[in-house]
Amino acid sequence: MKQKKVKIELKNLTKKFGNKVVLDNINLKIYEGELFAILGPSGTGKSTLLRVLVGIEDADSGSVIVDGKDVTDLPPNKRNIAMVFQSYALYPNMDVFGNIAFPLKIARMDKQEIEKKVNTAAKLLGISEILKSSINKISGGQKQRVALARALVRKPALFLLDEPFSNLDARVRFTAREELKKLRDNLGSTFIYVTHDQRETSNITTRVGVLNKGKFEQIDSFENLYNTPSTTWVADFIGNFPMSFISKSKDELIGFRPEWAVAGKGSMTAKLVTNELSGNINYWMCETKDGHMITLVGNMPLKVGTEIHFKLKKYNIYKNDTFVKQVNVK
Amino acid sequence: MKRKTRNKYLLYVVASVVAIIFIYPLYILFLVSFSPTRYTLDELFPSQLLSHITLANFISALTQYNFVAPMFKSLEVAFLVGALTLAVAIPAAYGLSKMNKRLANLIVVFLFMANLVPALVIAIPISAEFIKAGLFDSVIALALAQSLFTMPLATFIILGAFRAIPKDIENQARVDGMGVLRTLYTLLTPLAKAGIAVAFLLSWLTSWDEFTFAVILSPLKPTLPVIVYINITEGSLVQAAAFAAVISIPVIVLTVILQKYIKGVYLSGGLTG
Ligand SMILES: Nc1ncnc2c1ncn2[C@@H]1O[C@H](COP(=O)(O)OP(=O)(O)OP(=O)(O)O)[C@@H](O)[C@H]1O
Ligand SMILES: [Mg+2]
Repeated sequence: MKQKKVKIELKNLTKKFGNKVVLDNINLKIYEGELFAILGPSGTGKSTLLRVLVGIEDADSGSVIVDGKDVTDLPPNKRNIAMVFQSYALYPNMDVFGNIAFPLKIARMDKQEIEKKVNTAAKLLGISEILKSSINKISGGQKQRVALARALVRKPALFLLDEPFSNLDARVRFTAREELKKLRDNLGSTFIYVTHDQRETSNITTRVGVLNKGKFEQIDSFENLYNTPSTTWVADFIGNFPMSFISKSKDELIGFRPEWAVAGKGSMTAKLVTNELSGNINYWMCETKDGHMITLVGNMPLKVGTEIHFKLKKYNIYKNDTFVKQVNVK
Repeated sequence: MKRKTRNKYLLYVVASVVAIIFIYPLYILFLVSFSPTRYTLDELFPSQLLSHITLANFISALTQYNFVAPMFKSLEVAFLVGALTLAVAIPAAYGLSKMNKRLANLIVVFLFMANLVPALVIAIPISAEFIKAGLFDSVIALALAQSLFTMPLATFIILGAFRAIPKDIENQARVDGMGVLRTLYTLLTPLAKAGIAVAFLLSWLTSWDEFTFAVILSPLKPTLPVIVYINITEGSLVQAAAFAAVISIPVIVLTVILQKYIKGVYLSGGLTG
C-alpha cells in the first residue's frame, strides 16, 4: 500500500453546523484503486464527509486534495468526483437513458459517443433492457444500478457512494456488494462508500474507517478491526456481538471475542443470562461476578442462572480504553 | 371498493356544483352578449336559454369603438407582465429556496406588503416618474407597474414548487457537472414547470383585467378593461357585455393551454413544505 499513489487526501478537515462540530479535524489518505468503506453509527457525519469531499458542503477549515491538486475551493462541477446519493437522486423528468447520459450531455459530448458509452455502462450493470423506461416504473434495485451507471459513464477521479445498498433487500444486497467489488477490479478506480452496516464491509473492502462523532476511531482492514480494535468503543461497535470485557486492574480491561474463550472448563466463572441463536450457533450471554456482560460460544441452550466456567485462549489488554497488546495463551 | 366508488361519485357531484356556481355568471354574460336585447335586458324575467342568436351586439361594440388597438395593448401588457414576473420571480424563488426556511417565509410575507398598499397610492407618484422618463401611456410602464403586484404571489408559488424538488436532485446535477445557473434554468425550471405555469397564468390574468394602474398610467391609449368601463358608464350595457365576452375568451384559451401543466398544484404548490 505504501508505494501506491495517494488518490485523495483530507487535511485537518473540520465541518460545523452552527455550534455542532460534525467533522472534527479529519486527516485521511486514500490510495489509488482502494475500495474504502466509511462505517459508523447514525448521525456521526458519514454523509457530511462525502458531501464535503464532493463539494456540496463547504468545510469550515482544512483541505481536500485530489490527485495532488487542492480542490477545497472548487465547486462540485469542477472536482471530477462522481457521487451516488443515498436517495439515488434520479432525474424524474428523464428516462433511464436520459439519466445515464446526463453527465455526458453536460460535457457536450458527441451524440454517438454518448450512445456508445451509455450502452456500455448499461451492459456492465445489466440494465440494457430498461433504457427506455421511465424511472417511476423501475424497481429499487434497478434505480440503484441506474444511479451507479450514471456515475460510471464519466471517468471521474473518484467514486463516492452513500449507503448504496440500503434500499435493497438482504439477498440482493449480497450480490450487489460482490458486483461492486467486481466493478472496482474491472475499472481499477477508487471507491469510497458509506455504510452503517458492518456486514457490508467485511469481505469486499481494502480498508474500513470507523467514524464516531466526527472522528476516525480506527482505519484498518476489517480483520484488524475485529481482532485488534484500537479502542473499547471500536471493540464494542465491531462484530456481531460487542467484545466482552472483564476487569484486570483499576484502569485495565481484558477484552475477548466469543470464539477466543473456551467454555466448560477453566477458573473464571459467569452466570447465564440468556441464550442467543445467531446463524445456527448458540451463544451464552453471561454476567460475571463484578457485573460485566460477556458472550461465550455454547453448543446448546442451558437453563438461565447456570454457572459456566471458562478460560481464554487469546485476549486483548486495554488501558484507559486504549488497546495495549494482544496476548496468546499457550 | 364500493365505498371508494361512492366517494368518487360524491366528488363528481361536488365538483359539478362548484363548476356550475362559477360558470353560471359567465353563461349569463355570453347569453346577454349573443341575444337581442328584447329577450334579455328588456324582459322582466328573461329566459335562461338561448333562443335567438345575434352578432349585432358584437358588431356594434366592435365598430363603434376602437377595439383592436386596446385589445393588442392589453395582450402586449399581459404577456410582458407574465414574462417580467417570471424573469424576477424564478431567480428570487430559487434564492429563497436556498435560505433558512423561516427567514425565507418571513421575506415572502414582507414581499406581500406591496399588495397591501392600494394601487392608487402607488400609481400616482410613479405616473409622475413615468411622465418624466417619457414612458407615460407606454406598454412597458404599465407592465412594470402591474408586475409590482404580481411578483409576490408568483415568487411564493414558484418557491413552493422549488421546495418540492428533492435537494439531492440539484446536488446530483452539480456533481454531474452543471454550474449553478445552468442547473436552475435547464433542470430545476422544467421540474417546477407546473408552479411556474400557474404563476404565469395568475400574473397574466391579473394584468389582463387590471384597472387602476391602466386608467392612471395609460389613459390615452387604454387597455380593454378601461374600454369596458367607459362603455358601462356610458350606459351601453349590451355592448359592455359583448366586450366582456371578448375579454374572457383569451383567458379561457390560455387556461386550457396551460392546464396540462397545472394538475392540482394551483394551491398545493405554494403550500407544501
Ligand atoms: N444541513 C444540515 N444542517 C444542520 N445539521 C445537519 C445538516 N446536515 C447534517 N446535519 C447534522 O450533522 C450530523 C451528521 O449528519 P450526517 O447526515 O452526516 O450523518 P450520517 O453519519 O450520514 O448518518 P446516517 O447514517 O443516519 O445517514 C447529524 O447530527 C445531522 O443532524
Ligand atoms: Mg447518511
